[in-house]
Amino acid sequence: MSITKIIAAAAVTIGVATGAFAAGHEKTVVGVSWSNFQEERWKTDEAAIKAALEAAGATYISADAQSSSSKQLSDIESLLAQGANALIILAQDAQAIGPAVQAASDEGVPVVGYDRLIEDARAFYLTFDNVEVGRMQARAVLAAAPKGRYVMIKGSPTDPNADFLRGGQQEIIQAAVDAGDITIVGEAYTDGWLPANAQRNMEQILTAQDNGVDAVVASNDGTAGGVVAALTAQGLDGIPVSGQDGDHAALNRVAKGTQTVSVWKDARELGKAAGQIAVALAKGVPGNSVYGSNEWTSPGGTTMNAIFLAPNPITAANLDAVVNAGWIAKDKLCQGVSGGPTPCN
Amino acid sequence: MRRGFSPAKMRLAALFLLIAATELSAAPLFVERAKSLNIDHRYTGGWTHFVGGGVAVFDCDGDNLPEVFAAGGAAPSLFLRNRSTPELVRYEVETHAALNLKAVTGAYPIDIDSDGWTDLVILRVGPNAILKGGPDCAFAPFEGLHFDGGDGWTVSFSATWEADQRLPTLAFGNYVDRDDPNGPFEACDDNDLFRPTGGAYLPAEKLAPGFCALSLLFTDWNRVGRADLRVSNDRHYYVRGGAEQMWAMEATPRLYSEADGWRRLPIWGMGIATRDVNRDGAPDVYLTSMGDQKLQYRITGDGPSYEDALFAVGAAAHRPYFGDDGRPSTGWHAEFGDVDNDGRDDLFVAKGNVEQMPSNAMEDPNNLLMQTEDGRFEEWGKVAKIASTARSRGAALTDLNLDGALDLIVVNRYAPLEIHQNISANSGGWLLIDLQQPGKNRNAVGAWIEVRANGVVQAREVTIGGGHASGWLGPHHFGLGRAKKVSMRVIWPDGETSEWRDIEPRSHITLAR
Repeated sequence: MSITKIIAAAAVTIGVATGAFAAGHEKTVVGVSWSNFQEERWKTDEAAIKAALEAAGATYISADAQSSSSKQLSDIESLLAQGANALIILAQDAQAIGPAVQAASDEGVPVVGYDRLIEDARAFYLTFDNVEVGRMQARAVLAAAPKGRYVMIKGSPTDPNADFLRGGQQEIIQAAVDAGDITIVGEAYTDGWLPANAQRNMEQILTAQDNGVDAVVASNDGTAGGVVAALTAQGLDGIPVSGQDGDHAALNRVAKGTQTVSVWKDARELGKAAGQIAVALAKGVPGNSVYGSNEWTSPGGTTMNAIFLAPNPITAANLDAVVNAGWIAKDKLCQGVSGGPTPCN
Repeated sequence: MRRGFSPAKMRLAALFLLIAATELSAAPLFVERAKSLNIDHRYTGGWTHFVGGGVAVFDCDGDNLPEVFAAGGAAPSLFLRNRSTPELVRYEVETHAALNLKAVTGAYPIDIDSDGWTDLVILRVGPNAILKGGPDCAFAPFEGLHFDGGDGWTVSFSATWEADQRLPTLAFGNYVDRDDPNGPFEACDDNDLFRPTGGAYLPAEKLAPGFCALSLLFTDWNRVGRADLRVSNDRHYYVRGGAEQMWAMEATPRLYSEADGWRRLPIWGMGIATRDVNRDGAPDVYLTSMGDQKLQYRITGDGPSYEDALFAVGAAAHRPYFGDDGRPSTGWHAEFGDVDNDGRDDLFVAKGNVEQMPSNAMEDPNNLLMQTEDGRFEEWGKVAKIASTARSRGAALTDLNLDGALDLIVVNRYAPLEIHQNISANSGGWLLIDLQQPGKNRNAVGAWIEVRANGVVQAREVTIGGGHASGWLGPHHFGLGRAKKVSMRVIWPDGETSEWRDIEPRSHITLAR
């Protein structure tokens, strides 16, 4: 894969043509197909998409596939029938979404694959840069432990993002591995990203290494939680551990000092960018002309237009950021912490 | 009566449903018997028993009432003797030494040597086994077959009698290769095919690539007199590159490809059911998975092409239909059957989380999808009282007390086995039909039974395999609705076709050649 340019999330603004590309005076309607809106996190994304569409004078319509890939196909037919001129699709099953992309393409309606890859050259891909997440995780751990015995706790083997993350991590530590400063003494996938599985894997590695572990690169906060539990049981808590997602429990661990970094992906930025991209595409801006877009080749060999937003590594040095953004309340962040980093001091 | 429900009305409050249900003479209703019979059998064990949990249902003492053999995983398997009457389904635990086995994932009944006594194929984590059946449910290792049970992690099985063979061809589906040091992901084992020569088996042929098979079914999908092998595979472990498969059973088995019309379908395949749901004479399929379960209609023509039923058909059963757990379902055993004898095939689906997979629902009730007059399916599991939220696995939908109503047995991981007696106040007629051939293939596996009633022909293939690690051997049940004039014929496995003959509704007959 080749990501040639990373856009700082805060700086993303998508160019929306107001004159040359505007198709008459028809109102822009953007249809959003959610995979399962009962999952709490999408409500944040939805609010951001709605705000972006409102700012652009576009109308928001949506459907909830309720975890059914066949319902999602009928949902998208329905959104098209309701007059959507652009679609944002959070695919329930990316391998079953093909007929929906075809239906949209048949009507000349552009598609933004939201957060999950829709491997089709006709779709635009918008997500956070997962390779960069991996780099940020490794960078923070490497800064805290430039030498030593490392453990790599990976994500679910069935999730392509797990390998993107692992690839980014390796980029950062490769030189230290080559120099002999770092030895990877254990590495394991975490079935289902489940904290209990991460804990069991970490326990087995600690046993095999006779507790000779200096740092753990864990791929998300759930797995980091399992890792920290295993470390605590051996009195090893406090060694560098990475994570991802800005989970409240993980941010609290960062404040406490038992986790080094949680890479935070601000869903509001993703939703805002999706709304802006959809409006631009609806107004006729070609995918490769959308501001900030890059040509990207997927692991499966499909070349598509894509934007990868840069995530934000949260460490003891910038915990203020998540409080100021309203992501977590200060008392929750600082629960059980005294004399910790700002704002928990 | 329930045919009059529109989907919109179905979405009304549960209270309305309950009130309405009491007014419906044909509403399906079951009563659970295992608990009152003090039968407490659970499918248990670690990772290698996350899958499996099958049940075999067959008569082995000559009274036509089917006995039960249920897998126990790490716990011993269970044998139940049938002591039912037409009024009451009753079983007694009689697990004798030959059937007290560990590491069992499932089992299928089959009369391998056509001696009239049911034999058992036992699927295991480790060596599979074939037990020879004798009078009064005696079972012993089947000597002389030269069958090598291997050491795989086997959860699926199917059998067919190929042309001129005395013994059936056996297919065993193996899941993850436990010995692969880089596993379990992308470490699927190959499947095994045992073809006979004379009175014994040749060494296994490998059916490769395997994609972590969880259900196999020999089916004569094109009704040409040859059963091909459909394989349902679990995407969770093949991860990428895999898909559903079907082997053309030529001299050297060959995978159907897109050039044949076979369409790539990557799902979390766990169980296969087949039935001519839309009564066009071509068998359709239902494949259990995670999220959407897949009802696929056969596109008639020569190729093995199938198209997905639209969501509006109501068969997706993609998430729990009650409770507030909106995560996707996990489907296992699926089986068609006419539960209310209205002449239309209904569908049972066993559901349950693999273990504690956070992406999927934990409280995942089993489904009873009743087919409507216009070919849709409506959920009646809760009203019918079969909506267990245990981690269900294998099951059998068959008549346990020979009263003409399909009963239901469900095996659960960690939770007790369920025996549901069908006590629906049915008004519809039914048939129970046994087939019998002299010589080989006594139960006529591969035959087609056609029943004509109300101007519609129900075409039914006789198969062994499919579901999730579960199968039954016994009379084939047909619902007839209010039909008075009913006729039937048999297309025997060798293609010989009987005349149409009239048959009285509400009868259990044996058709012998």
